[in-house]
Amino acid sequence: MNRSLFDKVWDAHVVEELPGGNALVFMDLIVAHEITTPQGAIAIEQDFDDKLYAPERIVAMNDHVSPAKDTATAIQAQVVRTWAKRHGLRMHDIGDNGICHVMVPERGYIAPGMTACCGDSHTCTLGAFGAFALGIGTTAQAGAMLAGCLVLQRPKVMRIEVTGTLQAGATAKDLALAVIAATGFRGGTGYVLEYTGTAIRALSMEERMTVCNMAIEAGATTGIIAADATTEAYLAATPEAPRGYPMDAADPDAIYARTITIDGSAVRPTVSWGTNPGETIAIDGVIPANAEPASLAYMGLAAGQAIAGVAIDQAFIGSCTNARIGDLRAAAAIFRGRRVAVPTIVTPGSQAVRRQAEREGLHDIFQDAGALWTHASCGPCLGMSMGVLAPGTRCISSTNRNFPGRMGDGGRVHLASPEVVAASAIAGHICSPATLAARAIDRTLVHA
Amino acid sequence: MIVEGAILALPFADIDTDQIIPARFLTTIDTKGLGGDCMSGMPNGRELLARVPDATILVTGANFGCGSSREHAVWALQGQGFCAVVAPSFARIFEENAYNNGVVPVTIDPAQLPRFLAATRARIDVENQTIQRDDEAPIAFALDPVRKAFVLGGGYLRYLAAKIPQVRAWEAACRT
Repeated sequence: MNRSLFDKVWDAHVVEELPGGNALVFMDLIVAHEITTPQGAIAIEQDFDDKLYAPERIVAMNDHVSPAKDTATAIQAQVVRTWAKRHGLRMHDIGDNGICHVMVPERGYIAPGMTACCGDSHTCTLGAFGAFALGIGTTAQAGAMLAGCLVLQRPKVMRIEVTGTLQAGATAKDLALAVIAATGFRGGTGYVLEYTGTAIRALSMEERMTVCNMAIEAGATTGIIAADATTEAYLAATPEAPRGYPMDAADPDAIYARTITIDGSAVRPTVSWGTNPGETIAIDGVIPANAEPASLAYMGLAAGQAIAGVAIDQAFIGSCTNARIGDLRAAAAIFRGRRVAVPTIVTPGSQAVRRQAEREGLHDIFQDAGALWTHASCGPCLGMSMGVLAPGTRCISSTNRNFPGRMGDGGRVHLASPEVVAASAIAGHICSPATLAARAIDRTLVHA
Repeated sequence: MIVEGAILALPFADIDTDQIIPARFLTTIDTKGLGGDCMSGMPNGRELLARVPDATILVTGANFGCGSSREHAVWALQGQGFCAVVAPSFARIFEENAYNNGVVPVTIDPAQLPRFLAATRARIDVENQTIQRDDEAPIAFALDPVRKAFVLGGGYLRYLAAKIPQVRAWEAACRT
């Protein structure tokens, strides 16, 4: 039948084909958070009798700035809280929340074959479960809450085949950045990225979420990975997850608009040098000679310069890309027995991740190293609440965006894996875990 | 519907929504009041906007509006007085948001961009899908046929509200 996995999920949800390649697409799940929901909820209340199509398909949460930081954010949270209560929505609030893209899978709201949307571009994270999940604007989210559907232009499908296996030191974050390097920063626009290949199959669910999370950073509508035994095991261990779901995969003769093959064995620990997630190099590399001058000027760097050794002012581990328990374990393994050289913030992705980390003693490792261990939230990633960068200062960050001003007006962001962030926090400059380990051995030899 | 007025040129590609409206300004439950912070995440963004304070048409580089889904980016542009954005390409979510708020996304041939950046005024005929640069001949551009209707009248939510009975029928027939 020549269909990709994406085609199958899409086709099963088309209510009506519309002119111009558009369709009315049914949404199984709508996630609503406090930053992008209030205007839409208020529009429905004022113009459409406050009627929601299917309240049972909506999950509401306060996640971006929770607890509120000021009166304005308190009002946003209160609007979502009272709206959710009025409609009997499932609601996750202070004490039981976290980043929506971390919460939704761990609470069993997403399963293979579903469609999901949220007024948040990183909703593509949920594609890791073989779902079609995408970020949309406030009005589109309101439309889904009002009528159960989105109007969508059918995207093309790009197959991203990752062969081989990730080598020691290379992480899912490095693979996510390698995909953007392969497609180009704009190269995914108009496409869904369907990830296949041995290196993808070998990833855990958390790692698959990291890869899918950054599909939007290539401009893609979303990413998607076919469910397999790894997915089934994750869902079986999630008490609230649905028990019956389709296990669709692409047809063997599926037709893709484009295919890109990446050698997973060649993926290296990677750091961004510029002002978008496509501007990256291997951690032992030098900034390319043809680097965009505006990016270099903003970042205070020069073409030909080595990225390792660049001094940093702050380090951050967190975000919907890299704040799950596996990320925190990997970072803790590097922090253990060492001290940070720069202010370092570790923000778990959800309250459940936080509690698990504390059961394992990871919070002690972070704090013994001198890092700040915070409550679960989006945190410093988007410069909206805590941990904002001062102009001209440099932060290495396990997040997804290094745009100008993203983490604070004039702040400079280097994207990397939690492992590289941890090693750099200890070194005080951009540093790979391997280099840090080699130095420790050197010191031992000197003292012996 | 005609959009006519002064052009503000921002000759940069990949202007992301964090630059159009930084997250620190997303603490509102209103769609109004964001114009004063439009482009405040871009280095010298406010100074660049001040060059043509009465501009209603923004001309800019490829992949405009990439990044975050925040519809606040469109609301900020509207608050600043923009009714249309002219660019070689748009990020998907931004383009959807623009249509849903009646801001016209005009996609042009990249080869035409330098001449649009150099122009001072433009006239956009939305019904007939033409754009006229200063006193030159009108050029045709493409609009999404479904979303064009959201701009011309009615709006996105009204369109979807009319679909509810059909969605219910589909759900009853196709979903268990």
